[in-house]
Amino acid sequence: MLPGGIVVIVNETGISAGAAVMLAGLRKSYGDVHAVAGVDLTIAPGEVVALLGPNGAGKSTTVDMLLGLTKPDAGTVTVFGASPHEAVARGTIGAMLQGGALLDDATVGETVAMVASLHRSPLPVAEALRRSGVGELANRRCNKLSGGQKQRVRFAVALVSDPDLLVLDEPTAAMDVQGRREFWKAMRGFTNTGRTVVFATHYLEEAENYADRVVLMRAGQIVADGSVAEVTSLVAGRVIRAAVPGATQSALTMMVGVTEVEVRANQAVISTNDSDKTLRELLATYPQAHDIEVTAVGLEGAFLSLTSDENAGADRS
Amino acid sequence: MSFTYLLLEARRAMRNGRFMIFSIAFPVLLFLLYTGIWANGDKAVTGILMVNMTSFGALSAALFAGSRVALERSVGWQRQLRLTPLSGGGYLTAKGLTGMLLALPAVVLVPLVGVAVEGVSLDAAGWLRVTIGIWLAVIPFALIGLLIGQVGTPDSMQPIMSLTMMTMSMLGGVFIPIDSMPDWLLKIAHVLPSYWLGQVGRGAVTSDLSVNLGQAVLVLGVWTAVVGLGVVRRFRRDSARV
Repeated sequence: MLPGGIVVIVNETGISAGAAVMLAGLRKSYGDVHAVAGVDLTIAPGEVVALLGPNGAGKSTTVDMLLGLTKPDAGTVTVFGASPHEAVARGTIGAMLQGGALLDDATVGETVAMVASLHRSPLPVAEALRRSGVGELANRRCNKLSGGQKQRVRFAVALVSDPDLLVLDEPTAAMDVQGRREFWKAMRGFTNTGRTVVFATHYLEEAENYADRVVLMRAGQIVADGSVAEVTSLVAGRVIRAAVPGATQSALTMMVGVTEVEVRANQAVISTNDSDKTLRELLATYPQAHDIEVTAVGLEGAFLSLTSDENAGADRS
Repeated sequence: MSFTYLLLEARRAMRNGRFMIFSIAFPVLLFLLYTGIWANGDKAVTGILMVNMTSFGALSAALFAGSRVALERSVGWQRQLRLTPLSGGGYLTAKGLTGMLLALPAVVLVPLVGVAVEGVSLDAAGWLRVTIGIWLAVIPFALIGLLIGQVGTPDSMQPIMSLTMMTMSMLGGVFIPIDSMPDWLLKIAHVLPSYWLGQVGRGAVTSDLSVNLGQAVLVLGVWTAVVGLGVVRRFRRDSARV
């Protein structure tokens, strides 16, 4: 059950035939912890899907099962009609896993060439490096790279098999702003060719800017699934900011529709689920209120509200 | 798996100072040094030293290659490779072959120095035994290296490798020639694959204390089968755990 009577719309567009990814009834437990507790997800070819959720929501476990690195306790994974194992063997899946995964004693070019040599029809190594924005680093040793460069080399490793599906687990973690921007620039080049991408991230702005679709996870389950606009609209509510001389927290809290109030000096931040009524009452009660601003709850607000309650849905036995 | 892959693996290893020193420089230099100290022109002693140093270089290279798996596991490279068409068996084969590839320099260089500098002369069959023979006889060592690489961590690798190298080369008759071993030590030596590795080459240079080739091949074959089984089982357990 979800808190606050939030209705969760789970995307049910059943594109089962020809789907890029199909997860059905996926479950995985480690001891008492249900890391993934029943995930159903269908992704169409060409979709760019962001997997969001707090730490421990089950994103990485889901990704590992999608890649065939972890065996589900129950449920099935299908990637372009095949098992993850077959898809990997065909070079259909490219992936950037979390963590290091580069060899210190190899150069960038050698690293990508090693992986390329294992695939049947890889991209030319130089091409993969160029597309990942690390073309000029081919002769650099992997231990002499910055964090952002390392990630882009790992992107080249994922890209070199020329995959139809790219799976990225926290691709920009520990990157600076510039590095993230360059990474996503390289990424755009890939998604523009109509390939399917699934990425797990902590950065909501990345989901907002780059994903066609957002899948929100909490406690091993999908709690929201849709476009950024759809997911955001699940959390009805607006925020009113205004300078309200003489207002007190308790007085504002009493007003129609108000769910939360914060007053600092004369500045009030009022969360409400009926901004029209709240605003009318506010102006009637405090005619001197000024600098009024009404904003919708963004993806961040939706994220917090849909995933914050630790107890609800925490499926532990 | 492809030839390109093996070459790149070998190239990585060539960058490693430890490998270059223990598997290429030491065998050659120690061979020259020991011959100067002990051989006194005795061709049999020179031959034995040549065989022992070839064995030493080859076995340390083979052990080294496998042990690097520990590093690849710890940085997640093995996981990354599991996302390529390379199968588990392919990975282990590639690693084993890399070990064999890395053992080649010692197997070529030490006998070459033997001919060119120390004037060792053997018949064709003899040369085959001290080169190709010793090379093939390090197969179990490539597997022992792989097993160590799968069990150990990058931190524990140094002590485990030192201990293994010491045991193999000291007690196995590589650094302490079996000619000078007391009886009890010789008995211990018989248990180790390095003793049998030495025997593959020894028969070519002296009949003193040497066993027939068939017996050496048999014992090394048993070592290969047993350790190989261990490597596969360990790998299966390791990849199932993730």
